[in-house]
Amino acid sequence: MKKIAGFIFLLLLFASCNSDDSDMISIDNPEISLNIPSGFPELNSFVSLNKPTKYGVELGEKLFSEKRFSADNTISCSSCHIQANAFTDQHAQAIGIEGRIGLRNTPSIQNLAFMKFYNWDGSKLQLETQPLVPIITHEEMNSSILEVIGKIKDDAVYKDLFRKAFGDENVTPERIYKSIAQFEYTLISANSKYDKVKRNTASFTESELQGYQTFQQKCASCHSSELFTDQSFRNIGFPLNTDTNEAGRGRVTGIAADFMSFRVPTLRNIEYTAPYGSFGQFTTLKSVLDYFDSGVLDAENLDPIFKENGKRIPLTEQEKINLIAFMKTLSDTDFVKN
Amino acid sequence: MQNFKKYLLLSIASLAFVSCSSDDDNPVANNVTLEFNNTFKNTTIVLGAATSTSATTNTSVAGQVHHFSELKYVISNIRLVKDNGDEVPYNVNDLDKGATVIDQSKTATLSYVLSNVPSATYKQIKFGLGIKPEQNTLDQARFPNFYAAAGANDTAMMWEWGSGYRFTKVEGFYDTDNKTMSIHTGSTVQGTAGSYTQGVNAYRDITLNLTTNAVVGSKAPKIKIKADFDKMLSGKTNTITLSTGTGDADNATPNIHTAAQMVKFVDNFGGNGSSDITGMFSVTGVEN
Repeated sequence: MKKIAGFIFLLLLFASCNSDDSDMISIDNPEISLNIPSGFPELNSFVSLNKPTKYGVELGEKLFSEKRFSADNTISCSSCHIQANAFTDQHAQAIGIEGRIGLRNTPSIQNLAFMKFYNWDGSKLQLETQPLVPIITHEEMNSSILEVIGKIKDDAVYKDLFRKAFGDENVTPERIYKSIAQFEYTLISANSKYDKVKRNTASFTESELQGYQTFQQKCASCHSSELFTDQSFRNIGFPLNTDTNEAGRGRVTGIAADFMSFRVPTLRNIEYTAPYGSFGQFTTLKSVLDYFDSGVLDAENLDPIFKENGKRIPLTEQEKINLIAFMKTLSDTDFVKN
Repeated sequence: MQNFKKYLLLSIASLAFVSCSSDDDNPVANNVTLEFNNTFKNTTIVLGAATSTSATTNTSVAGQVHHFSELKYVISNIRLVKDNGDEVPYNVNDLDKGATVIDQSKTATLSYVLSNVPSATYKQIKFGLGIKPEQNTLDQARFPNFYAAAGANDTAMMWEWGSGYRFTKVEGFYDTDNKTMSIHTGSTVQGTAGSYTQGVNAYRDITLNLTTNAVVGSKAPKIKIKADFDKMLSGKTNTITLSTGTGDADNATPNIHTAAQMVKFVDNFGGNGSSDITGMFSVTGVEN
């Protein structure tokens, strides 16, 4: 009996030695502290559950440009989310594999760590749950997460990065989602001319200043806060997408008032993100302002601000010029170049 | 070491004993087959294209004639209730082993065999139409088989944008001019159980009394379940008139995805969860 006990003891010892070995490989993977610009709202609470780390972000950035995410290895996240365009693609509606056209305009990726809702309809509240959607969507990458993992799991560069980011080489769905979200959390844009003016290191031109004043009078009730969106969902009477899959936020919430309502988009880097609207209805900022000025479509749930003001935002031609000058001060040249 | 051998021998002997005990005439478990019959009232549905002459047609309370070209739904979270009230769950936490897509175009899918059901007398069956929110995440790594079955090109029971499964998918035609109808249901809830922050939960829990008790033991009973799609438009909760268009009240195309319109169909298919816990389903017989 003693012998057996001794044998078991030895076995246990052996087993515990084994697991000690893997613990001994310690990797220096420091957290990256997010540089939160002054005046920005609180971080989305999910960020604290997936704090960006040095290698998590590096891995996420590499995955963001990984074309093997798509069934035919032609489309990556960065195919539509192009940095030079504040992570949009200049198409009215996103284009996926085999030229398939998606339902909506590619949204910009910036300051997502501060957003409470993701996508035009706010269907996602946690960024980590989003990357799966384009991977499996027929009009986007048309693949599956296990197909993606099968393609990249034996890649030596990925093995190294997964080990550095997460402690071992296992490529799991959760780690893919987390690292991409970590990368996106670091994409903070707050160094535009507007920000410099706020910090008293630059000043507006006369036209920009006039535009800023008009903006505060006629736009800022929706495009509010330092994010330039109040993150509400509104039907503002834009031309309707007649695709039968489109119902705006109504398809998420089931609330009648949300039918054809979309998230107020941020105006940061708006100069780079044309065309505009949920399915790229407008090619220029001028055409958006002209539309507001001439009048929007009526609807039962048209936003009260429009309903109570003759379904329009009256703007003179000079006001439009100044507004556009102001909106261009929201361009962050470092953000789109780095 | 001599002792060690003795223990080994004893273990082998006891294993042999365990395996012997399942050889008798009263097995500890057996199969139960769920046989689904998809109907309009009492007529089994025959699918067909727009101008099909063989497709089964139905007329709603509102007077709209209609027929289907495609009919699929997901069953999960199956529980059998013993005559003493005890509930016996069937792989309720494993979609690979406990969930299935019923597809009217594939006869094999209409019979779902529950294996290794504990021997007992059962009086009731409970199951879910759709997938519970906590399992409705398209988790391919956890449930690869169900993911593959639901995602197959000829099945298409996924809602990519919602990262969830479609719970029902009915394609067909209505009115005398055979306008297209496309009724899809699925959940859009976000958050965790008890504190959903947005969206609708389209999962419905169904409870059906068996017509006679199902006795699992030496025999493997068959439970016949009818899904009466007449209830889709003429349900216990809602009387629905189909209309085509792009307004928020139009409901015949997937802009049914306006969740408000969708929920009316969900309640007719699977009950409203309170006053109606059977929806379109009923047990028509038990073969022991």
